[in-house]
Amino acid sequence: MFLEINDLSVKIENKNILKNLNLNINKGEVHAIMGPNGSGKSTLANVLAGKEDYEILNGKINFKDNDLFDLNIEERAQEGMFLAFQYPVEIPGVNITPFLHSAINSKKKRMNEDEIDNLSFAKLLKSKASDLGINIDMLKRSVNTGFSGGEKKRYEILQMSILNPDLAILDETDSGLDIDALKIVTDGVNKLKTKDNSFLIITHYQKLLDYIKPDFVHVMVNGSIVKSGGSEIAAEIEKDGFQKFQ
Amino acid sequence: MNIQDNYQKNKKNIFFSKNKDVQNHREKLINIFKNDRFDKKNNESLKNVNLKNFLDFKYKYLVPEETSVINNNNDNTYSIVSVNGQCSNFKDDKIEITKIVEEDYNDFSKNNTIANNDHFVNLNSLFLNCGFKIIIKKNNNIKIKISNIITDDDLTIFQKNNFICEEGSSLNLIEEYENKNNSTLNILNVIKLEKNSQLNHFLIQDNSPNHNLIITSHSSCKKDSTYIQKVYNFSEGYVRNFHFSELIEINSEADLQGIFFLKDNNISNNKTFVKHLAEDCKSNQVYKGILNDRSTATYFSNTHVDQVAQKTEGYQLSKGILLSENASYFSKPELKIYADDVKCSHGSTIGPIDENAIFYLRSRGMSKIAATKILISSFINEELSSIDNDQMSEIIQKKIVRYLSKVK
Ligand SMILES: Nc1ncnc2c1ncn2[C@@H]1O[C@H](COP(=O)(O)OP(=O)(O)OP(=O)(O)O)[C@@H](O)[C@H]1O
Ligand SMILES: [Mg+2]
Repeated sequence: MFLEINDLSVKIENKNILKNLNLNINKGEVHAIMGPNGSGKSTLANVLAGKEDYEILNGKINFKDNDLFDLNIEERAQEGMFLAFQYPVEIPGVNITPFLHSAINSKKKRMNEDEIDNLSFAKLLKSKASDLGINIDMLKRSVNTGFSGGEKKRYEILQMSILNPDLAILDETDSGLDIDALKIVTDGVNKLKTKDNSFLIITHYQKLLDYIKPDFVHVMVNGSIVKSGGSEIAAEIEKDGFQKFQ
Repeated sequence: MNIQDNYQKNKKNIFFSKNKDVQNHREKLINIFKNDRFDKKNNESLKNVNLKNFLDFKYKYLVPEETSVINNNNDNTYSIVSVNGQCSNFKDDKIEITKIVEEDYNDFSKNNTIANNDHFVNLNSLFLNCGFKIIIKKNNNIKIKISNIITDDDLTIFQKNNFICEEGSSLNLIEEYENKNNSTLNILNVIKLEKNSQLNHFLIQDNSPNHNLIITSHSSCKKDSTYIQKVYNFSEGYVRNFHFSELIEINSEADLQGIFFLKDNNISNNKTFVKHLAEDCKSNQVYKGILNDRSTATYFSNTHVDQVAQKTEGYQLSKGILLSENASYFSKPELKIYADDVKCSHGSTIGPIDENAIFYLRSRGMSKIAATKILISSFINEELSSIDNDQMSEIIQKKIVRYLSKVK
């Protein structure tokens, strides 16, 4: 199993958010999670990425034969996990080039691969940016600083395509994107998709799932997965909302 | 020993002690010391200061054996090594260097911008034992680098320097304070900018733990002149940076900036004060600090706008990153405005490093320590990228790397 979440319960500030959650993702699969606001989708994404504010009450997570809780934030990333944030953080004064370059090299180091030199990295960044319709001038700006909502989302996908993760978690990457941008971004995701990597896509809209075909759709309500199935579930939700799952 | 006895005992080695006006002034200073209750609450010069060490000190001064060197490289660049606060006389058609004289002392003693209970400035006047005066002649464009060297342990140097930029001149001044011995340097820079002159003043401070540096400056700007001061404090010993600026004629400008890097139990006290006394003047006061371990800093900034100083633009900012729960940074901006047509603002943000930013960077695979370092560098990125002197930029970068290498 590639990612295996067993009976996960998570609390923050005396509030139970995730409750006995189970989810299995195999290599090469695309999973979608849909659920009402506040149901715990971003919490799950953050716990997977290693954010430290949460209290894990019970449960186990296995990722590529590791106990995920044995890995710190950067080790998870170096092992191939990537989170495209729902709300990317603005970091004034930090340029994407040196930061992403150092990030990719720490991954290579962990995998015992050769590091990428400055020049090759700059080339890689440029070509990926142009694939995603990102202006070269934007690469000179500080990370997310002053970016529009849609620009931030594209920037997340740019980072994803550079780091080429084994498991990508996209937290509402579609919200804030106009229709053309959605097309470009989902093209980017589909290009990256192989039989060896997996995606966990959090979204509110069926639209995204028209572009990125999920193998499984899960409904998350109140901190648990209450129903799993194929894309027909997305259509159901689009039509009737979450009422009947609650 | 009290201040008065200390002075009497060492008088013969102290500058100008035979001059009547100087004597009168010093009597006043001694009275201030006698009558002061040293109330730390109401005296910025006493914050975080171990009074006993500073008031009850053992006076010691040595006249340097070797006279200081001046290199004129024929390209308007001068390199000065000031030893125990002394510098040999020099004169060419662009600059002139002499010892300071009684008139310089008396002229400064009339200033009313520095509070009369600033005891470090008062000690400086009382125990004055060295100092020099540099005049940049009209319309010249000059670069000067001064290395301030102290030869022996336990020296107490009380130094007054005067810098005069004559009309239309431009001076790029780099001062290095890098002392490794157990001594105290109390230095006062009196800076005068005549019409249409410009001074870019850089102070690099990197002393070892047992060296105390107390540096005060008083600059005054005439019509169309600009004074820019940038302080980089990497010292492991105590440093006090108190800098005062008066904009006395129209369209002049003062920019007082500082960055300090503290660790261990180090203390840094900072103050900037700009007095707007004429129309159409601009000022900027920005200090940024990075504090680790149990270090402590204070920063007082102050913009004073006189009633004639219409169309003033004054800006104050204080920023700090606390890398440890035990570090503390106290900052207090003040504005006193007596004119109605002014644009003034102040801001202050001090806190731990942004955890969300750390999480974001780590989630891309960067280690916690690398993420912390990149965020610290970005915090001062603006100040560093504005250094237009390659050599200096390199020196400062090296010192930052050294500081960051100790951050865990
Ligand atoms: N730091 C926190 N302190 C207290 N409550 C929190 C904290 N973070 C999240 N929560 C709560 O946890 C619940 C789940 O939040 P989460 O962000 O995971 O929801 P979500 O499913 O992603 O919602 P949305 O669709 O609106 O993005 C919410 O009720 C939220 O208020
Ligand atoms: Mg969310």
